[in-house]
Amino acid sequence: MRIETCYFCSSRIYPGHGIQFVRNDCKIFRFCRSKCHAAFKKKKNPRKTKWTKAYRKTAGKELAIDPSFEFEKRRHTPVKYNRELWAKTIEAMKRVEEIRQRRSNNYIMQRLRKGREIEWQRDVREVQRDISLIRSPAAGLKQRQAEEETEMEVEPETIEVVDAKGRKQVIEAPVMVPATGEMIEDGGDIDL
Amino acid sequence: MTYKRKKYHHGDTHLKKRWRLRNRRKDLDEIDTDLKEENAQKLLNQEVDLDLPGSAQHYCLHCARYFIDEHSLNEHFKTKVHKRRLKALELEPYSIEESERAAGLGSFKSPSKRKIVTQNSKTNDLDKDGDVVLDDVSASKKKKVEDAE
Repeated sequence: MRIETCYFCSSRIYPGHGIQFVRNDCKIFRFCRSKCHAAFKKKKNPRKTKWTKAYRKTAGKELAIDPSFEFEKRRHTPVKYNRELWAKTIEAMKRVEEIRQRRSNNYIMQRLRKGREIEWQRDVREVQRDISLIRSPAAGLKQRQAEEETEMEVEPETIEVVDAKGRKQVIEAPVMVPATGEMIEDGGDIDL
Repeated sequence: MTYKRKKYHHGDTHLKKRWRLRNRRKDLDEIDTDLKEENAQKLLNQEVDLDLPGSAQHYCLHCARYFIDEHSLNEHFKTKVHKRRLKALELEPYSIEESERAAGLGSFKSPSKRKIVTQNSKTNDLDKDGDVVLDDVSASKKKKVEDAE
């Protein structure tokens, strides 16, 4: 007795279920139910049919590559019966299954998290773009204009300096002597 | 609806007939094995079989079809059916092994893409100088050209 896998949807086929088709090159195609068999007869591509495992794995919907998949395999090597080995294997199978499920669930959650991030970014962008619907851009315009006017009234700061010929001059502050890089203070000497 | 009127409708019989087992054509994975060099050689150089179209002398590998003569084969290469088939064969076809891998028996391998070109026609096109024009040079093609010379 063996639990086979469906050719189309990769689900398990228990004894007494499904149907199989033997092609004229001796390849055996097993199907779990008539749905899969009909799809095969219509030459549907399992990779493009959304409800199959093949689709979900090629499209990256499910965990596809993982060492935990390497245990259950068709090995084509006979193993002599050994009760101890059998008991150990049964224990290991439970453990492997547990790990595999945890990893695949984790994979799906990671995948969905990315969507949440994108959603959040989209919301932020929408708020930034449409903020004018909530708060008018003209709100507080007069106040801001008044503030700007008062700023404009402030005269630029000036300092008095004595030039090389001993004349007093008024210049805008701050001023730096290009040669030395020193700042000129109020009432200081300057070479112009 | 009168009885007679009822009998004019054939339902989906024509569709069902198309999918009958005896009308089954080669699957993509079968064609994929045919494309291997040794199998391809056998299929392209078949013995005369009077039961098959064109005595099995003009065979399209990718579409698994016999043609009656060289001309119709070359015309077929220009058709949409043939180009669509080449496109379908580009991706490695689905197989039983892949269905098992998808079920969790071993890690899943995503299908690889290949470059598929039309087989070489037996009579090559000649350009102005009388040289043979090749659009793709594969091992079998080179050999064929050398044999012809």
